[in-house]
Amino acid sequence: MEGLFFNINGGYVEGIVRGYRNSLLSGQNYSNLTQCETIDDVKLQLAPSYGDFLSSLPPNPSTSDLAGRMTDKLVSEFKYLIAQSTGSTAKFLEYMTYGYMIDNIALLITGTLHERDTRELLERCHPLGWFETLPVLCVATNIEELYNSVLIETPLAAYFKESLSHQDLDELNIEIVRNTLYKNYLEDFYNFVNTHPDFSGTPTQDVMAQILQFEADRRAINITLNSFGTELSKQERRKLYPEFGQLYPEGSLMLSRAEDVEGVALAVSAVADYKAFFDAVGLSQGGGGLGGMGGGPGDGKSLEDLFYQKEMDMSKLVFTRQFTPAVVYAWMKLKEQEIRNVTWIAECIAQNQKDRIGNFISVF
Amino acid sequence: MSGAVGREAVFPTRQSLGLMKNKLKGAEIGHTLLKRKSEALTKRFRDITRRIDEAKQKMGRVMQIAAFSLAEVSYAVGGDIGYQIQESAKQARFRVRAKQENVSGVLLPTFESYTQDGVNDFGLTGLGKGGQQIQRCRETYARAVETLVELASLQTAFLILDEVIKVVNRRVNAIEHVIIPRTENTIKYINSELDELDREEFYRLKKVSGKKQRDVAAADAEILAARQKAAEEQAAHPEAVEKEEKETKDVLGEDEDNDVIF
Amino acid sequence: MAASAATYKDRQFLAVIGDEDSVTGLLLAGIGHVTEPPESQRNFLVVDSKTETSEIERAFQNFTQERKDIAVLLINQHIAERIRHSVDTFTDPFPAVLEIPSKDHPYDPEKDSVLKRVRRLFGE
Repeated sequence: MEGLFFNINGGYVEGIVRGYRNSLLSGQNYSNLTQCETIDDVKLQLAPSYGDFLSSLPPNPSTSDLAGRMTDKLVSEFKYLIAQSTGSTAKFLEYMTYGYMIDNIALLITGTLHERDTRELLERCHPLGWFETLPVLCVATNIEELYNSVLIETPLAAYFKESLSHQDLDELNIEIVRNTLYKNYLEDFYNFVNTHPDFSGTPTQDVMAQILQFEADRRAINITLNSFGTELSKQERRKLYPEFGQLYPEGSLMLSRAEDVEGVALAVSAVADYKAFFDAVGLSQGGGGLGGMGGGPGDGKSLEDLFYQKEMDMSKLVFTRQFTPAVVYAWMKLKEQEIRNVTWIAECIAQNQKDRIGNFISVF
Repeated sequence: MSGAVGREAVFPTRQSLGLMKNKLKGAEIGHTLLKRKSEALTKRFRDITRRIDEAKQKMGRVMQIAAFSLAEVSYAVGGDIGYQIQESAKQARFRVRAKQENVSGVLLPTFESYTQDGVNDFGLTGLGKGGQQIQRCRETYARAVETLVELASLQTAFLILDEVIKVVNRRVNAIEHVIIPRTENTIKYINSELDELDREEFYRLKKVSGKKQRDVAAADAEILAARQKAAEEQAAHPEAVEKEEKETKDVLGEDEDNDVIF
Repeated sequence: MAASAATYKDRQFLAVIGDEDSVTGLLLAGIGHVTEPPESQRNFLVVDSKTETSEIERAFQNFTQERKDIAVLLINQHIAERIRHSVDTFTDPFPAVLEIPSKDHPYDPEKDSVLKRVRRLFGE
């Protein structure tokens, strides 16, 4: 039933995204890329997918330039999609950009706190998190002005309003601010896909709920792991966990009490997937291999890698569903992973570290 | 050589000869000591240069590994953390302390790295994503910086030693090629001057004694002639002998005066 | 010539002039230091393609001449190339100027001021 009217508004966008999906690099492409000797070769291999965007690069560009151009392509494609979408689909796409906005605002807050010229920072902002009133925020010279303009000018006001005051921006570590915002954003997004009349009961709710739950759990686990040995207290830490997901509420509670890697492993053991991850990286056995990426070249994958792998698998599965804007979300995640992959490969080639070159996640 | 070196402006006396001889002895001792110091320093210097060469190559590798770990971070975080890192830097956690090492009287500073406890500007960076990679990257870079600090010590030692060795070698050369030859020259000069004086003196004495002999001979001849004359005159006029004897006494008196002068 | 203690006992920081990645990495290692306000000075400079050579020069002079708390100055080799003259003419032992490789520019021993001297001394 839900498919009956979807194509009236969302059909075109979905079609376009499915087309974009086909231009994602395949395993064959990746194996070609890993054979390259120079960045120029990489550029050549990427030409079918990224032709126009890479052509203006100088010979042997730096990896960051390469990544920058690839992101440009992603951005321009996404902008096209958002321009073509209407109604609830458009709203959905906007939600996708909020995550990047949070990063941009965090950047501006950092700049304002240190009294830098925030206009220079606009270049550093992620283009997907760009909104029309972003430059207005640069007018603010102190943190209170910035806070007020954020409330007035940005779509993120709701995330600020309830949990952060302008004193908080001044006093709290920017990472806490960022993660608080992100938590609010995830909860809001989750709420949006579950309750919006256009989405509830559709495949969108189905897949997006799953993906967002995973995202929430991932953040909770990461925050816990990364907060060990820092000044972040358990209470503060707990406030940063999104209040949904497979781990919520029991797992979150246990996470908030965890004091070491074993504690985290125990907290997540209720969820089979995460337990498998922790078993795979061996964190539950003594926790010696924290952040195992590179611990043993090639073979040992880190938790982070496994999470990315899982995210990619979920994103890939989204394309089996029809009549949903969730494919855009999935495509975006896949594309971002692709950019990371290519950057990684280029980095390995540029720095002559060929033995680690296979450490990327190929999806198709 | 002696022409170029010259000699010191001294009076050629026996006292200054003694001084010069002492000076020569001192210069020779100083020369051997400095020479030994220069050799010790040069040995050290060669050692350091070799280690610098090695350390610089090592640095290339270490920095590459470190840069690669940063690539891992950007892979995990999926974005740029540079700006945030730059802004959150406040207190140096990684500092260096300078120590001194004594090599043959030259104080060589060496840097020693240490970490300031309790300073952690980036504790929460990558909280949501990539924190573990950032942690690893920090450790890798900290190790890399330790290598760099080591290299910096070597390099500073290199620069100072280079300078010191130059100075010491200059001194050694100055002593060897200027001070010693000049002192020797001076001694030679004083000696030759003194010899010359000796010879002059000897000649003068010889001259004087020659003249004396001549005078004595002339006086003897005169006396002899006078006596003959007196004998002849006495034979002719015996009354005049008294007067003649008085004159002879006068001549002897003059001779005595001369003796006093010598 | 042996430096007296006063010239280096206060020197406890490292400074860096480098591209974004090098600076980020070194800051992660914890060398970053910002002095107390009002004259807060950073001990690092990020150089990109837009940075003027004069600015690099100024930072170099600042770190080597004016500031007395820098023990070691790290500078990316390709940036040192841009102010090669200053680097070559700076021969004081303090602070030690160290040319380091960057991600995109592997280390070339031929260009290093100090290594050049090393090589020359060995008559190569």
